[in-house]
Amino acid sequence: MNPAYVVKDLTFSYGERRVLDLERIEIPAGEVAALVGPNGSGKTTLLHLLAFIERPGSGTISFFGETVRAQNALAFRRRVGLLLQQPYLFHMSVLANIMLGLKVRGIPERKGRELARRALEAVDLVNFENRHARSLSGGESQRVALARALALDPEVLLLDEPETHLDKVSADRIEEIFLRMNKNEGTTVILTTHNLLKGQSVAHRVFNLFRGKIVPAHPHNLFKGKLTEDGAAFRTDSISVKLPIPQGEGSYLTIDPTGILLLPNLPDPSIPNTFEGRVVAMSEENGRVRVEVEAGERLHLLMSDQASRVHQTELGQHVWLVVKDSAITVLA
Amino acid sequence: MHFLIQVFFEAGRMIFEFDPEVYFIVWTSLKVSIGAIFLATIFGVPLGLFIALKNFWGKDAVLMSLNTLMALPTVVVGLFFYFLLSRRGPLGDLGFLFTPSAIVLGLFALILPLVTNLTISAIQAMDQRLFLTCKLLGATAYQQAWLILREARFGVTAGIVVAFGRVISEVGIAMMLGGNIKGFTRTMTTAIALETSKGEFQLGMALGLILLLVAFAVNGALFLLQREGR
Repeated sequence: MNPAYVVKDLTFSYGERRVLDLERIEIPAGEVAALVGPNGSGKTTLLHLLAFIERPGSGTISFFGETVRAQNALAFRRRVGLLLQQPYLFHMSVLANIMLGLKVRGIPERKGRELARRALEAVDLVNFENRHARSLSGGESQRVALARALALDPEVLLLDEPETHLDKVSADRIEEIFLRMNKNEGTTVILTTHNLLKGQSVAHRVFNLFRGKIVPAHPHNLFKGKLTEDGAAFRTDSISVKLPIPQGEGSYLTIDPTGILLLPNLPDPSIPNTFEGRVVAMSEENGRVRVEVEAGERLHLLMSDQASRVHQTELGQHVWLVVKDSAITVLA
Repeated sequence: MHFLIQVFFEAGRMIFEFDPEVYFIVWTSLKVSIGAIFLATIFGVPLGLFIALKNFWGKDAVLMSLNTLMALPTVVVGLFFYFLLSRRGPLGDLGFLFTPSAIVLGLFALILPLVTNLTISAIQAMDQRLFLTCKLLGATAYQQAWLILREARFGVTAGIVVAFGRVISEVGIAMMLGGNIKGFTRTMTTAIALETSKGEFQLGMALGLILLLVAFAVNGALFLLQREGR
């Protein structure tokens, strides 16, 4: 089966400012993919390109094996559904809102009404069809917008930060709905998030975006700084990290959160990149333990529940961290 | 004071006794105003929609010109169309001068920039997510324009009401192109001007009161429409 998307040598700029520069991304059909990155990393722009509402400056996007061009963008646009971070609902009833996309496709009123009602059922808003769209809460609006996208039976569902602007209950509900669509209907789902752990917990595949490029690193442990010791070390405002391979240039350093060891006692002092710190936050994510340690810079770690128990990690605990060489990446 | 009360009393009598002359003048005014508004709406709204949604070379110059034309003095429009429609003018053969059609034409030219400009403002004031959502729904360019216009309907309607206020109270064009002919082209404003100059205040006052009433009714309808839409 052809991949849902193959993006090749794609660039996109707003005026003079280049916001995306991607060599290749392949998203298999029927998977859930997450685009993870901080604000301004180009996630939303990429999502708009994947929804065919923006045109790339250069490069190509293939959709299920077909190359998308400006002339046929509308036909491709009608095969995907995009849920905006803060969706816009029209000044009309909930049902009329959901039927709009069906109407523009020329689907007869009666059939459209039936499809819209089915979509409302899918998002658990059966009794909302006659409510005015502007009288809904944020979570309900998001679900109506999701129903509007689902009614069109999209081959790919794109979601722009679905957890932002929503309380946890509403965000979980949205997540449950799109995961169900993926599982039951085989719909390909692509979502953006700034939370890697969220991305990892829901997606089969995670793409880290940083300054418009796919990077092999975690945006949480992302530090601005400069190379020192002739490129053999990287200095942030508060810590210095020895680099496994000396670098010619670099102004950002990232550390993979799964590549940091947490030790309760001082390790061998000859081991490089050992930092002393204090546990300031802990949470459970997708069966693993997320630990935040204040060690000059705040470092995020991901460890197994078992490892956490072995070390009896607890809040406020004094700990030592060892950053593995393989976890370190320098970005230009 | 006594004189003022007498004028008011006489004006009231003319209104409630359905004086035929008063109501013919009111009818003429409404006829030419509605005609001009109808034409300005069918041309100005799509034009405003096009200018607001499309990027084209010279767009800024068009917007500046429309802003300038909004301040066009009515007598200048009247003068221009007088030359155009007079016997020796290029459209003299139509025989439009001193007919209600001539007034409609002049009023239409007066408010076309106003309706166009206020439509542009109403569209540009819409939430940016609306434009994105219309695209996302898979709408064609025409369908997008229609959906956007539907959402901007309150702003666009308010613009049309402002334009109606301008034409119903207009004197210069009605006088120059209509000629203020009794029983034919006499409108409320031209009649008020004439009756006042003759010292016949009763008819002028009656028409003035009706003019206010019409303005009130139109604005009341807009208010109800906007409240309904919320």
